Amino acid sequence: MRLLGQCALLGLLLTSTPFLQADSRVSAYALMSPTNQAMQNDMSLNPAMFWIMDGEALWIDRNNPSSKACVDCHSDVKQSMKGVSATFPKRVQGKLLNLEGQINQCRTTRQQSPAFAYESKPLLALSTLIAYQSRGLPIAASKDSAIDADFQKGKTLYFQRMGQLNLSCAQCHDDRAGLKLAGSVIPQAHPTGYPIYRLEWQNVGSLQRRLRNCMSGVRAEQYPYGSVELAQIELYLMRRANGMRIESPAIRP
Amino acid sequence: MNQRRVFITSLTALTLSPWQSTSATPSDAMQAMKAIVGNRPVNTGRIYFELPPLVENGNLVAIKFSVQSPMTQNDYVKAIHIIAEANPLPNVVSCYFTPLSGKAEASTRIRLADSQKVWALAQMSDGSFWRTSVDTVVTLSACTEMI
Amino acid sequence: MSRSSRAVVTLPKTAKRGEVFSIRAIVQHEMESGFRHTEQGVRVPRDIIREFVCTYNGKEVFKADLHPGVGSNPLFIFYAKADQSGTLEFKWTGDNDYLTIVKQAITVL
Repeated sequence: MRLLGQCALLGLLLTSTPFLQADSRVSAYALMSPTNQAMQNDMSLNPAMFWIMDGEALWIDRNNPSSKACVDCHSDVKQSMKGVSATFPKRVQGKLLNLEGQINQCRTTRQQSPAFAYESKPLLALSTLIAYQSRGLPIAASKDSAIDADFQKGKTLYFQRMGQLNLSCAQCHDDRAGLKLAGSVIPQAHPTGYPIYRLEWQNVGSLQRRLRNCMSGVRAEQYPYGSVELAQIELYLMRRANGMRIESPAIRP
Repeated sequence: MNQRRVFITSLTALTLSPWQSTSATPSDAMQAMKAIVGNRPVNTGRIYFELPPLVENGNLVAIKFSVQSPMTQNDYVKAIHIIAEANPLPNVVSCYFTPLSGKAEASTRIRLADSQKVWALAQMSDGSFWRTSVDTVVTLSACTEMI
Repeated sequence: MSRSSRAVVTLPKTAKRGEVFSIRAIVQHEMESGFRHTEQGVRVPRDIIREFVCTYNGKEVFKADLHPGVGSNPLFIFYAKADQSGTLEFKWTGDNDYLTIVKQAITVL
């Protein structure tokens, strides 16, 4: 009887880590040189600091038809936005939104202004500022059952072969993580550091930019910015990385 | 028919690389150093030059260089020039010091277009020159981005 | 009308006379090298910072000539010898009328 109970407990433990084996998950931070790691850790060396400063200026900017700035509803960004980016994407008013989507929802409905385009300076500045407030905190992906279907769709897309090279995300980032592709070590692809200052871009960029980058890498037609497919993949990645420490804004090569 | 078009498009895509422009050669680097040094002799060594032997991305490479010197009015390091053998231009950055610098040391972040030899050339207040070099391998990202 | 951008300088607020202290100066600038092309093959024109100077009570402590090979958002870490209390001035100049000046005070004990 006792043995049965112990087996059941063991079975429960083995099945409760649905993704990678209990915790073999590693951020791409570990793959970087010490210099690049220092660049990420020390904000006075991290170029993303300028985007944070731009974000701070936008946070108090009332120059829009509503004459309201973010600060008027959300007060001090350090208090109100702490831990917030850790929970996105999530369901907001029936729609699956990532952080950029949420910023734009505030922008269009509360500030009566046009949405910011993806990878535009203002949107990157605000998302970097907000994500920075979660630095050091664990990813707390939304467990909302209403978006479980989106999660499943994102998972399907992650495991689906695509493009002229006919590769799925999983084939590189699950099966071959740690092996090399053209001189670079393949990371496990956890979204712990977004928005990132990518040395290749010489710029800050969003997770969606990186996902589209991967898609063009396998010569697939890229999902558009702000598409539901990209949000679903983001949701899958966040739940897969649940509990990992946020590094935003990270440096990546 | 379709396959040929795909083949041609991918060939042109390969050649439209950002580094299609001319690249310096070791002799360009020597010319750049000669322009600074003229006919005066150049000694080897004395400079501490830190540059990673393997670079993950050539867009932002941290370097540090220094020369031990009393940094007095009679004996100080006037300048340290960084010259690359395989960038589009050989001169990368020149740093100038004075006795008020206290230390002839600086760190900055440069671009490296390819695996290459990079030189540090120091000019002293007594008119003498010293140089040293570091070889580095530069790798770039595996997957190219189409914006 | 000159263009300017954000610059952040880090140095100690106080120093002992004769002490050599380190200074970090980073400025927001893309340093467009002039060697990049658009997908259509059109060259993107050069737009870089050309010179960075740090003076301490008006006297030059560090200067750099920048070429396209310097990375975006140029950072310099360098040193100065504490002399008198006063002001350090940091000036960046470059293409297309670029000019940024930042000042920071230091107290020398």
